[in-house]
Amino acid sequence: MNKDEIFQIIVSHTREVLPVLEGHDFKQTDSLKALGANSIDRADIIMLTLETLSLNIPMMVMAKAENMGQLAGIIHDKI
Amino acid sequence: MTKSSVVVSGLGVTSAIGQGKREFASALLAGRSHFDVMRRPGRQRPPSVDETGEQSSAFLGAEIADLAMPESIPGSLLRTTSFSARVALATLHEAWHDAKLERVEPERIGLVIGGSNIQQREIVQLHDTYRGREQFLRPTYGISFMDSDLCGLCTDVFGIRGFAYTVGGASASGQVAVLEAAHAVASGRVDVCIAIGALMDLSYWECQGFRSLGAMGSDRYADDPASACRPFDRDRDGFIFGESCAAVVVEKDESAQRSERTPYARLTGWAMEMDANRNPNPSVEGEVAAIKTALDRAGLAAAEIDYINPHGTGSPIGDITELESLRRSRLDHAYLNATKSIIGHGLSAAGAVELVAVLLQMEEGRLHPTRNLVNPIEPSFKWVKDQPVPHRIENALNLSMGFGGVNTAICLQRYF
Repeated sequence: MNKDEIFQIIVSHTREVLPVLEGHDFKQTDSLKALGANSIDRADIIMLTLETLSLNIPMMVMAKAENMGQLAGIIHDKI
Repeated sequence: MTKSSVVVSGLGVTSAIGQGKREFASALLAGRSHFDVMRRPGRQRPPSVDETGEQSSAFLGAEIADLAMPESIPGSLLRTTSFSARVALATLHEAWHDAKLERVEPERIGLVIGGSNIQQREIVQLHDTYRGREQFLRPTYGISFMDSDLCGLCTDVFGIRGFAYTVGGASASGQVAVLEAAHAVASGRVDVCIAIGALMDLSYWECQGFRSLGAMGSDRYADDPASACRPFDRDRDGFIFGESCAAVVVEKDESAQRSERTPYARLTGWAMEMDANRNPNPSVEGEVAAIKTALDRAGLAAAEIDYINPHGTGSPIGDITELESLRRSRLDHAYLNATKSIIGHGLSAAGAVELVAVLLQMEEGRLHPTRNLVNPIEPSFKWVKDQPVPHRIENALNLSMGFGGVNTAICLQRYF
């Protein structure tokens, strides 16, 4: 699975958690926080993504990501 | 007697017989019920290993068919809310607008939610879903498993900033919440206090526990769910569960002028008395004490009560005890019906929902029938049986009892 496919999984779960972003055109540089996801929403989006990928890695590792592209990159490096 | 300045200015109700006060009142007065084998996921025991996929229990109850959520409640919030919380939000929405609380300073509004361990079915479902892969459990579970999440959700959505907490009193929780709201308003802590009797979302574990305890029926009517819920009838065999929730807005008379509508009623007296007993058995002494304290506080003689909405669950011992308490309190002259015969036992919600039933009957000028009351255990009481009765309620008494020796009573008086 490449980084872009992981990015699309993150996008899909972001839309699930924040239905208001249904029509948003997501870019790798988008920040979940800037899009309106609070800390609980962000944790849920990451957990849903890890569950989809059956990936068991600590949430803390993802804290470094400043945007959705970086988040996809960190997860990609753990696969 | 001086008139109480504490009034009920708004209400909301959701139950298996209808959502909203109009639907609820109409179904109550028509005696329309919806008892059946419960179908909500997690309400029946899963098939055990030695069975062949057949459902291994058939607990009876009345479930809410379709919950309509107000559009103003954000969808992103609903994603992580339990069924109990969604019902509370929808019910509070009705009460909020009924009392026009958007005109009250948020800092002067309080919230008391009656009920403990109210989200059991959702929690069991979640545990079953994530068993063996617990690492993927939603982070939101860390806040949603607590009953106080309902306080967080309600204050968030409606902007309440006074105070908010939950109170538990077993099956009297809803009425305990109303008592707390009345205290908060009477003492001046807040101008408005909302009491919610929260929906108790039973899982099959609690259903089994209640059955094993002998509290929940019905072996006798397993094949006839419509006949199973029969408070005060000789053939009763325990309570039948019913999903419900109510929100009651309590405030001072002068504060209620804001809404430009006549308050539903005055809260004239209220009481909570304990039996000093952990067990589920009721006591005449405790019930009589609660009734006496509430009447004294209201400045009423028993003879002035003209309608009683009793706890009346269908419990073999509870119903007999309650009638004996009413007799000893010289209240056997007043009209009596059993709301649970139509909506089932809402447990944590019951005390608030039945108070709403009193107010709506007061407004309608009619008393709802009591279903399945074919052979009353005490025929000499003034029962409202299978047909509604026209009656102008002046002073009503509403009772709730809970396991662990809880006895509560509230007196409600027509506003004018």
